[in-house]
Amino acid sequence: MALIEKPQMLILGERLCSIDDCIAGVGTYSRHGYILASLAGYVLKKNEGEVLPVISVVRETEAQLLPDVGAIVTCKVTSINPRFVKVHILYVGSTPLKDKFRGTIRKEDIRATEKDKVEIYKSFRPGDIVLSKVISLGDVQSNYLLTTAENELGVVVAYSEAGAQMVPISWCEMQCPRTHAKEFRKVARVQPEYLQA
Amino acid sequence: MPVDNKRVCGPEESQSPWLFLQQTRGQPTWVPQTRESERRADSRRRRGQVDARPMFARCGLVSQAKGSAYIEAGNTKLICSVYGPRETERKDELDMRAGRLVCAFRLAPFSCAKRCPWIQGSQEKDLTLSLQESLQPGVCLHRYPRSQIEVNVLVLENDGSALAHAITCASLALADAGIEMYDLVIGCSLRQDGAAYLLDPTCCEETGDESTENQGSLTVALLPALNQISGLLSTGEMKEATMVGAIRVCVEGCQRLYPAAQQCLLKSVRRKVHARSTDVDVGR
Repeated sequence: MALIEKPQMLILGERLCSIDDCIAGVGTYSRHGYILASLAGYVLKKNEGEVLPVISVVRETEAQLLPDVGAIVTCKVTSINPRFVKVHILYVGSTPLKDKFRGTIRKEDIRATEKDKVEIYKSFRPGDIVLSKVISLGDVQSNYLLTTAENELGVVVAYSEAGAQMVPISWCEMQCPRTHAKEFRKVARVQPEYLQA
Repeated sequence: MPVDNKRVCGPEESQSPWLFLQQTRGQPTWVPQTRESERRADSRRRRGQVDARPMFARCGLVSQAKGSAYIEAGNTKLICSVYGPRETERKDELDMRAGRLVCAFRLAPFSCAKRCPWIQGSQEKDLTLSLQESLQPGVCLHRYPRSQIEVNVLVLENDGSALAHAITCASLALADAGIEMYDLVIGCSLRQDGAAYLLDPTCCEETGDESTENQGSLTVALLPALNQISGLLSTGEMKEATMVGAIRVCVEGCQRLYPAAQQCLLKSVRRKVHARSTDVDVGR
């Protein structure tokens, strides 16, 4: 983790600069033509390629991340249903969440092709670790809505009925190394650099 | 009426230990004085009517909580812990766009002169609502949709102006937890007694005799950098001009407490950063 050289520490509510000098970034807000800090931490001024530099306040502790629309999240399947899959969201990107958030993957969001012929029992099972993307924060009754309708999304870790961790064979099958039985899953095509030997 | 079956209650009848005190030990100091000059004798000898009690604040004590703060002002001691943002249990339309702040204000059973029951009474519920109303304008809830932030304040010893210090303690704990806020919310209270007023009253100073007019207490919650009042709680009867003057005095009291709260927060951030950098070095 890169340490900021000669950081300037400040507390929230402090005036950083005028709104003409910088753009408000993470941990700041603008009021009455000034940019003020909303977090107690260190100031970071970056030139992001836009006209004005972006000023943000960071704390060294993990940034507060909530699942946002379009974010790739890692979740664990808790229960399946002929219409949808219920999951617990564990990681947002690469930062773990302190508290579990609940999500739902609907039947039509599991695959990109042949959406109506999907069988949930052949795509996910309880206990699978799944990479998915947030499509919506959901409305009053529902949880976060997720999708796995891409090649890079889907099951990454799954255990067979015998209890061993399965190896992916194709985009829809995984094989148990102990019993050599094949099971159906919607497998994610993980980039080779992320795979560990 | 919910009855608490899980805790062992003390005896129904209890006597104050002061009754058994021998006369040669002298007058006990807790007996409330009736005249104003005597009331200010012990605790007020060193401070005037517009001086708040010197405050000690420390952040980051509770390791389990996301953020925490402890405040001591005179004999009033309180501790606050903040958890969140967590997923909301009950959802309604407003939760989709902004988060929710769930506050709990508790008086420990040993905090007041008379033992408080463990179950929240109506006074605690009232103070919880005031605490939530005062804190809500200060927190950037729109950055945390579909989440709830839990704030729990526990008063360990109540020696007057518990709500005002609870507001300050809760906002320090929220800032320590890394929750985005527009500004720290500082609370200050005042006791109006006839023509005289006392800032940051102690427990004995808070009770007065009913005969004189212009009797009342006032608690003000202020966002100092933005100069906005987020909470106002007043009891008793006061004239309009007196009330306006009292609010002004409270606002000045809040402004004077602001630097102390800022220093406490700075120290806690420095401590956290130092701990994190040593962890990183050890890990390497």
